[in-house]
Amino acid sequence: MNFLSDQSPAGHQGFRPSAVKMGHVSRVGIIVVSAVLLMIALPISAVLLRAIRPDGVWSAEAVTRILGSPRTWRLIAVTVAQALVSCICTVAVGVPVAWVLSRFRFYGRSFVKTLATVPFVLPTVVIGAAFATVLGPRGLFDARGTWLAIVIAQVCFNLAVVIRTVGAALSGVDSNQEAAARMLGASPFQAARRVLLPTVLPAIAASAVVVFLFCFTSFGVIVMLGGGSVTTVEVEIWTRATRQFDISGAGVLCGIQLVAVLATLSIHSRISKRRAVSSVFRARRSDRLPRSVAEWAAVVAAVAAVLLICGLPIAALFERSLRVGTGLGLANWQHLGSVTAGTGLSIDPLSALWRSLLTASAAASAALLLGVLAARVIAQRPGGAADRILLLPLGVSATTLGLGLLLLGGRPPLDLRGSLWLVPIAQMLVAIPLVVRAVLPALQALPASLGESGQLLGAGSIGRFWRIELPSIRSAVFAGAGLGFVACLGEFGATVFLVRAASPTAPVAIERLLSRPAAAGFGQAMALSCILVLLCGGVLLAVDYLAAGDEGLDLAF
Amino acid sequence: MRSFKLQRSSGFIRSRIATCCAVAGCILMLASACSSDTSSTAEPEQDSSSKDEVVLVTYDAFALPEDAAAEFTKLTGATIKVVATGDSSTMLTKALLSAGAPEGDVIFGIDNTLATRALSEDLLQPFQPQEIEQVPDSLRLAGKAGEQLIPIDTGDVCINIDQEWFAKNGIAAPTEMAQLADPSYRDLLVLASPVTSSPGLAFLIGTIARSGEDAWLDYWQQLKDNGVRVRPSWDDAYYSDYTVSGGDRPLVLSYASSPPAEVVFSDPKRTEPASSVMLDTCVAQVEYAGVLAGAAEPELGQKLVEFMLSPAWQQALPLSNFVFPVTDVELPEVFEKFAPRATKPLSLDPAVISAQRDAWIEQWREKME
Repeated sequence: MNFLSDQSPAGHQGFRPSAVKMGHVSRVGIIVVSAVLLMIALPISAVLLRAIRPDGVWSAEAVTRILGSPRTWRLIAVTVAQALVSCICTVAVGVPVAWVLSRFRFYGRSFVKTLATVPFVLPTVVIGAAFATVLGPRGLFDARGTWLAIVIAQVCFNLAVVIRTVGAALSGVDSNQEAAARMLGASPFQAARRVLLPTVLPAIAASAVVVFLFCFTSFGVIVMLGGGSVTTVEVEIWTRATRQFDISGAGVLCGIQLVAVLATLSIHSRISKRRAVSSVFRARRSDRLPRSVAEWAAVVAAVAAVLLICGLPIAALFERSLRVGTGLGLANWQHLGSVTAGTGLSIDPLSALWRSLLTASAAASAALLLGVLAARVIAQRPGGAADRILLLPLGVSATTLGLGLLLLGGRPPLDLRGSLWLVPIAQMLVAIPLVVRAVLPALQALPASLGESGQLLGAGSIGRFWRIELPSIRSAVFAGAGLGFVACLGEFGATVFLVRAASPTAPVAIERLLSRPAAAGFGQAMALSCILVLLCGGVLLAVDYLAAGDEGLDLAF
Repeated sequence: MRSFKLQRSSGFIRSRIATCCAVAGCILMLASACSSDTSSTAEPEQDSSSKDEVVLVTYDAFALPEDAAAEFTKLTGATIKVVATGDSSTMLTKALLSAGAPEGDVIFGIDNTLATRALSEDLLQPFQPQEIEQVPDSLRLAGKAGEQLIPIDTGDVCINIDQEWFAKNGIAAPTEMAQLADPSYRDLLVLASPVTSSPGLAFLIGTIARSGEDAWLDYWQQLKDNGVRVRPSWDDAYYSDYTVSGGDRPLVLSYASSPPAEVVFSDPKRTEPASSVMLDTCVAQVEYAGVLAGAAEPELGQKLVEFMLSPAWQQALPLSNFVFPVTDVELPEVFEKFAPRATKPLSLDPAVISAQRDAWIEQWREKME
């Protein structure tokens, strides 16, 4: 592949499969995008239909009941408010940390960067469990059932989105520009504000919108930490559907949430379009050792923030998993293979984990295949229709998807409820956008001449895809596979609707174990959470080290 | 990242490793995908249709009476597998959402407050055990519900008082329901939510029976002003918040049979319970079982429901689940001593409950959440 190095890296035309004759692979990609759209649209419409046609008869009863209740509007206000606060806090912590990480070289920098990303790949249930130990009755202070605990947990979970996205943008700023501004008499603050900020602002905005969306539809964290008293629209959908058997009421709330999600996504795609232009000017930013006391202080503060927010809860999880009675021991780990009475689980946690791994592998391989093909379509028109469609499952609430698949898969001609198919389908849908986001930057970085040369030399579209494109974006595909796998493994919001009590996935098992007062169940949940941390952390390390090399994993939100 | 990432020669080995891992990963994924495919088709049969297992769908807090279960196995050759799916209302909703493709053969734990909800989705098969004649008429449901839901146990949902706490703090314990809203008992009461918990819903119905349909929400407003805490489930309230279990609230919504449970489970052993029951808050609760429509083992399911009314099961219920039997069997001594029955439990007409329940829950949520 040495001839590639002759390509001028700057200012070339981005990869445009359309510049080459459209081949089979692109056609398959378009079919994939349509199929994904269908797989999301059908469950959503099933849910919405139940809202206005509960028992085969058109009725506005649920709509007027839900919209007419002041509680609904309080709930919406609270949901937006907590998402905004979480989002602002995440940006406030994330941007300075990203700046320090991209600006200064120091011992342990890549460790800090990885540690900050670990929570993002963890199942939300595990984050919830971790914070339930730190902010629980025997933790630092008991903050369960308060918004404080939830906001902190959301910051922890979403920090990686800001750090990685803004960090990528920051490392694209040519430090010579800043130096030139200083030379021309600008103060460091002025240089940062007039040169640095305008370049990274779109990245900050885009990541903020994504974080807002994640917090708006956040489920696992709130279920685990809310203590039943703190609730959002997403949790209310679940409560109505699975506690009150008010499917039509849940459907109305899904509709409200869908409107909000679509509005947020359209803001995001607007920002993405602007960002696509500005990122042409990216270049490698030189980093250096911190020099002054202030710079060292900034580094220490950033490291401390990451250790406190991301490191402490995970450490607490391990500590609690080893706590047996008043001493330390391995009893919780040893009991993972056995069913403990009173824990609400009818299979042992290890079997749940094994089942989870199988399901997630199947779902992730399907998501990888579909995601890569779809990413090629998006690469042609970033911010276009395909881009928006494939972001949908990321924003559409997991509970809506789960409830929809349950309603759809439970029709007499095609009753999938007894089979184990519904869970992997839901997991696959949730994982596809992550695969796309991981593969997209690499695809966009491919020079158009690659495909053209291939065509000139007589390669067909499948040959070009298989022999040229795929090997060139290999590391990104690997990253996509890893991200997709951890997303499938950790999926909770949709799974909780679809899973059978006799065959729970690992996150569902953790939630069930923690919702019961049995002490043995608590210990098992901690140990099982630790295994998931090790698994997901291992996948992240593999992706970071093997696939993405020094660049680190590039998340293009 | 527009600039094309160049393959550095030093990265060659690394990229080789990545490729090998990717290939290995893909093979693993495919292999597991195939194996999970086969398991997905084989699993349901394995779960429910192997000849010698009957699956009992129930709520989390249910404890299988082991000796009685062993006797059932001796009689029929089938073992009982318990599948708990959440607290009682979650269990019922999950069963309704999977009606026709059930998670087991028999469902146990639907109570009188939710019974009519169980009729909405063709959830159950009609079945009448022979022993049903042993059950007093007052506990049996009328009409279609009675054909599908068989009473198995009964009990009273009542506020429990930690008498030791009140004695230690020199406060006179409350004796009637209205006092729970009294400022001298501020921040002392913990309840379970009527949205998710069946005792919670029973207590809600009790407040309506006591205060009337016009004034019950005012009573709840007073409780709210008086600092009542509402937990999602009875477990949370009783095991985390009740002072007897180490919590901070000496008044808890529980059962008339909780004091004997304290004695039986006490460690170190106590001869008398710390708690007493506030009899004027008691609401009668009946729990039913039924055979699920679409059950893999309907005949075994019927046998199990039949067996639940046998003396073996009925006698085992008090000390395993701390409820009262519905047939005429002898009660254990600790029940005779410490589990008083309310002479006039609060109750409402089942037809009224059925018609109003969902609206009440909605109004309650509006007020309390």
